[in-house]
Amino acid sequence: MTDEGIVLEVNEVVKRFGGILAVNKVSFNVEEGKILGLIGPNGAGKTTLFNCITGVYRPEEGKIIFQGEEITSLQPHAVAKKGIARTWQKVRPFKNMTVLDAVVVGALLRTNSVVQARGKAVKALELVGFPEGKYELFGKDITLMEHKKVDLARAISTEPKLLLLDEVAAGLRPHEMEKLADILRKVNREKGLTMIVVEHVMRFVMNLSERIIVMHEGRKIAEGTPKEVANDPKVVEAYLGTKPL
Amino acid sequence: MALGEWISESKNYIIGVVVLGALLAVVPYAVGFDQYTILLLATALIYGIFVVAWNIIGGYAGQLDLGAFAYISLGGIVSAQLLIVYGVTPWIGMFLGAAASAGLAIIIGIPTFRFGIREVWYALLSAALVVIMNNIFHMPEVLGSLDHYLPSFNGWIYLKFPTYENIYWFITIALMFVIFINLMISHSKIGYYLRAIREDELAAEALGIDVRKYKLVALAAYASILGFMGYVYIVIQGTFSYHTFNAPESIAIAIMGIIGGLGSIAGTLVSGFSLKLLGDYLRGSLGATIPGLHLLIYGLLLVIIGVFEPEGFAGIYRKYFRRRGRK
Repeated sequence: MTDEGIVLEVNEVVKRFGGILAVNKVSFNVEEGKILGLIGPNGAGKTTLFNCITGVYRPEEGKIIFQGEEITSLQPHAVAKKGIARTWQKVRPFKNMTVLDAVVVGALLRTNSVVQARGKAVKALELVGFPEGKYELFGKDITLMEHKKVDLARAISTEPKLLLLDEVAAGLRPHEMEKLADILRKVNREKGLTMIVVEHVMRFVMNLSERIIVMHEGRKIAEGTPKEVANDPKVVEAYLGTKPL
Repeated sequence: MALGEWISESKNYIIGVVVLGALLAVVPYAVGFDQYTILLLATALIYGIFVVAWNIIGGYAGQLDLGAFAYISLGGIVSAQLLIVYGVTPWIGMFLGAAASAGLAIIIGIPTFRFGIREVWYALLSAALVVIMNNIFHMPEVLGSLDHYLPSFNGWIYLKFPTYENIYWFITIALMFVIFINLMISHSKIGYYLRAIREDELAAEALGIDVRKYKLVALAAYASILGFMGYVYIVIQGTFSYHTFNAPESIAIAIMGIIGGLGSIAGTLVSGFSLKLLGDYLRGSLGATIPGLHLLIYGLLLVIIGVFEPEGFAGIYRKYFRRRGRK
């Protein structure tokens, strides 16, 4: 069954580390053009799930279907070629390359021409609002917020259908988060790019996504609009613990 | 890769390389065909080639390879033995030598990269390769303990001459080719991909780069250049034996690469050329009184570069010009 409008289908995925069930039979769908939020307390299995989707880990059970094609056991570079890009919880900059070159690397996935790739890279950097005068700076010489933008531009320049954002707001100040959320909305709108946003910061993700999935101890415990999810007693319990008797 | 694009991207470099080649070509006239000087320069230039080739795996791809002489010696000995035993001209033998070295690189590279061996572990593995090859070739069935000599014929067909200027010119041309290969890699997709791998393998993989494949390509390119030049190295040395698999010199090549500056063609070339020249000159002049002085100097330079200018000669050059540019 290939539903129209479903970009990614995660089906009963299980990932174990030794005796620990990091991801326990999680299923969900991602609709085209939407921003899906994925939240949960520390150790809920969000990043592990990301790593299963992007091929960094191989899930023990379950299927991951992307645009009607199974990608469950593909290597990360093959997953990227299919059209899934990601950013990292802790930025992974190319420190000894210029900002522009780092983004060119991403753009080279869809072309063999460096000149063409450079054109695309500039567009991606413009889209995320990276300051134009700083394209030739080295990765080691820019700020965290700028790193996040480069990371994002690098991922966008691979021309993905689906973008996975792993705690993009981590380490940012509140006003920077606002800016980043604006950028993400802009990318989503202008490119029609589908996104999954893993987040710790509730407010950030509540403003960004129409639909949210909540994970806790490897399981999906809730799914719905931000409002529904925030009022779900199971979610409150996962975050704050049970009410005292 | 689009050739036209590559030419327009690296036009200035291409002109620079041609000028460099022309300058190097007239040096034998400038020194009045003094054989000792030409031999010194030829040896230094061939080290320049080794270090510039090392730049592909060490500088771009960021793998600290300490196994240069595994590939140089294998390629050289294959070519030399083909000449001695079957009378095959080195013009064919050198390509077969290059193929043998590339083959060895692929046999070593596939499992190494498959199991994610990197950093110090890769360095150790590649260093061990030279020692293993040394032992294999020491076996009586292979080369045994004897020194082997090339046949006494001379001429272009054997790439062997009574004087050194012809082999010097051959090395100059080879150097230009190797620099072109480096430029081609550096300014094309593969160069960007190798640099990304050097910076962060996981991030590179997530951008769609087949990390294993590209590392293997870099290793094979490096090994085949070394394997090709192996015969010329043996011609300059005069003899070959299992000792040609020289572990300390393999490490010296990596050190020269680091001192020159990772990823810089000019830096690695200048470093390989000048350090080998300095080392051989010192060995020739003070070797009897202070043996091993050149090794001490390499070591000192490595420490100084490490502390003050981790980007090597290339970094010093860049700083100097940036400062002048700002005035």
